[in-house]
Amino acid sequence: MCFDCAQHERIWNGNVMLKIENLHAEVDGKAILKGITLSINPGEIHAIMGPNGAGKSTTAYVLGGRPGYDVTEGSATFDGKDLFEMEPHERAAAGLFLGFQYPVEIPGVSNLQFLRTALNAQRKARGEAELSGGEFIKLARKEADALGLDPEMLKRPVNVGFSGGEKKRNEMVQMGIIAPKLAILDETDSGLDIDALKAVGHGINTIMRRPDRAVLLITHYQRLLDYVKPDFVHVLAAGRIVRTGGPELAHELEREGYGQITDELAA
Amino acid sequence: MSLLALPSARDEAWRWSDLSGLPAIADAKPTGQPRSVDDLWIDTPGPRLLFVDGAYDASRSNPGPVQIGPADANAGRHALGKLAGSTGWTLTLGRDCATEGPVQIVHVATGGANHLAADIRLDEDAQASIVESFVGEGWVNRAASLRLARSARLMVARRFLHESGFQSHADTAEIGQAASLTIASLVAGEADSRLDGHLTITGIEAFAEAGGALLGRKKQRHDAAFVVRHAAAHGQSRQLWRAVADEQAVTSASARVEVTRDAQKTDGEQSLRGLLMARTAAVNLKPELEIFADDVKCGHGATVGELDRNSLFYLASRGIPPVEARAILTHAFVADALARIGEDAVREAFEATANSWLGMIA
Ligand SMILES: Nc1ncnc2c1ncn2[C@@H]1O[C@H](COP(=O)(O)OP(=O)(O)O)[C@@H](O)[C@H]1O
Ligand SMILES: [Mg+2]
Repeated sequence: MCFDCAQHERIWNGNVMLKIENLHAEVDGKAILKGITLSINPGEIHAIMGPNGAGKSTTAYVLGGRPGYDVTEGSATFDGKDLFEMEPHERAAAGLFLGFQYPVEIPGVSNLQFLRTALNAQRKARGEAELSGGEFIKLARKEADALGLDPEMLKRPVNVGFSGGEKKRNEMVQMGIIAPKLAILDETDSGLDIDALKAVGHGINTIMRRPDRAVLLITHYQRLLDYVKPDFVHVLAAGRIVRTGGPELAHELEREGYGQITDELAA
Repeated sequence: MSLLALPSARDEAWRWSDLSGLPAIADAKPTGQPRSVDDLWIDTPGPRLLFVDGAYDASRSNPGPVQIGPADANAGRHALGKLAGSTGWTLTLGRDCATEGPVQIVHVATGGANHLAADIRLDEDAQASIVESFVGEGWVNRAASLRLARSARLMVARRFLHESGFQSHADTAEIGQAASLTIASLVAGEADSRLDGHLTITGIEAFAEAGGALLGRKKQRHDAAFVVRHAAAHGQSRQLWRAVADEQAVTSASARVEVTRDAQKTDGEQSLRGLLMARTAAVNLKPELEIFADDVKCGHGATVGELDRNSLFYLASRGIPPVEARAILTHAFVADALARIGEDAVREAFEATANSWLGMIA
C-alpha cells in the first residue's frame, strides 16, 4: 500500500484528533500557508520538517490562534470541533499545547503563579476542580525534577534570565504540568546542547507517548528524531506539504539536505 | 473657604489636573452614612484611627501615640495643601521611639468636602510606619508635614480608593542626616486624584523615596507631582512611578530632582513608566533635573508603552483568558512600585487592592 493510501486508511478507521484540510493562511496580507492537509490520530507522533521560511512556525501559530495569523481558506478540527471557532485560551483548555520556538520572557510574573493560573483556568473551563497551592507545587516540582530544571527556577519570573536550554526545558515542564492531548512543538530542539536535547526528548516521550495523546513535532534538524521516533515525517516547503513518509525520510533529508526539494519546487 | 483661587490647567504645574469639578463636589452635603470599612484594616498590631468625613471617631479608634487636635501641615502656599487647615492629627515620637506595628488610618467620606492636616515628627533614631486608606465619596483633601531628625526612619503607604469625588494629598518633608523617608502611593479607585510632594534632604547621607502606582480608567485623571530637593551632600533619592491608563483615562506623573550647590555626591534616580491599555487613553510623564552641584549621579528614564502582544499570546496559549492575562501583565507592570512597601502584610494588602481593581481572579 502506498504511503498516502496508508494515511487515508488511518483517517477512515481512527477517530482523528487533529484534522487539517486545505489550510491557507496569511500574515500581514502575505500568503504563507498554501493548502496544508494533515491528519493526526491519538497515539501518533508526526514530524514536520522543512527549510527556513517554509511556514513551520506559521503553521504552529495558526493552529494556536495567534492574532495576526489569518486563515483565508480551509479548515481544522480538533476532536471533531472547529479549531478556528475557538479563542487561543479555549484551544488550550480543549487540550492543545503550543511549545514556542522562542519562549517569551515575562518580567514580574513568577513561573509558579503563571502556571498555576494557567492550569486552574484550564481546569475551570473543563469543569474540573482547581488545584490548591500545595497540590500544585508538588506537581510542579515533580515535573521540574523530571526535566532536570532546578525547581528553584520555578520561583523566578517566567523565562527571565534563563539560558536557551533552560527556556526549552521550561516549555517541557509546562507541558508536563498541563498534560495536553496534543502538543505542537515548534523547534523545541533548536539551541540545545546534547544533555538538554536528551532531557527534552525523554520529556516528550514520557509525557506524550501515550495512546490518548499525540505530538506534532516541528523541527529543522533530524537530531531530535533520534530520541523521539516519529510515526510520520512531513516535509513542508513554501507553505505546502511536499512529501510524507516514515522516519527514514528524516534521515534522507539529513543526508541530502532540503536543496533537492527546493529545486523541485523552483522547477 | 474660597475655591475661586483654584489653579487651572493654564498653570504649568497643574496642566494635567482638572480641578474644575471641585466647587460642585464641595457644595454637596455629606450623607453621613459611611460604607463599611472592615475590609480596609490590615492584620497588623499597632494603633488604628478612623476618620469619618474628616471627623475623628474615637469610639472606633485606638490612637496609640497619635494625638487629635491642632496640626501644622506646613503646606505653605500650595493651592490645595493650604486648604487642609490647621487641625487634624499629630504623631510625635521621641528619641529612639518606635510605634508597635504600623499606624493605620482609614478615612471614609460620604460626600461634600473634608480637609485635615497632619504633623509627623520623628526625633533622632525614631521609627514609624503609617498606612492610610481613603474610601468613600466626595472630595478628601489632606496635607501632611513630615520631619525626620537624624537617623529617623519613616515609611508611609497610602491607598486612594474613592468611589467618586476627588482625592488630593500634599506632603512637605524635611529629612535630616542619615534619615530615611519612603512614601508609596496606590491610586486604584474610581475618582480623580492629585498627589503632591516636596521632600527636602536637609542632612547628609539621607534617603528619600517617593513613588507609586496610578491606575486610571473611564474618564479618570490622576496626577502625581513630586519634587525631591537635595540640600545636603551624599544624599540618595528614588522616584519610581507606574502610570496605567485604560479607556479615556489620563494618568500623569512628574518627578523632579533638584540638587543644590552644596549637595555633592548626590545619587538621584527617577524611573517613570506608563502603560496604555487603550488608544483613547493617555499617559503623561515628566522627569526633570535641576542640578547645581558638579559631582552628582542622576539617572532618569521615562517610557510609555502597551501590553506586550507576545506575552499576551503566550499566556493565552497556556489557557489564561484575555481579561486575566491583561490583569497579570498589568500587575507585573506596577509591581515594582508596590515592592517598595516594607511590611509584608501591608504590601500584600496593597497588591490585593491593585489586583481587585485590575479584575484579577485570586
Ligand atoms: N510576522 C510576520 N510578518 C511577516 N512575515 C512573516 C511573519 N512571520 C513569518 N513571516 C514570513 O512567513 C514565512 C514563513 O515563516 P515561518 O513560518 O517563520 O517559517 P519557518 O518556521 O518554517 O522558518 C517567511 O517567509 C517569513 O518571512
Ligand atoms: Mg520557525
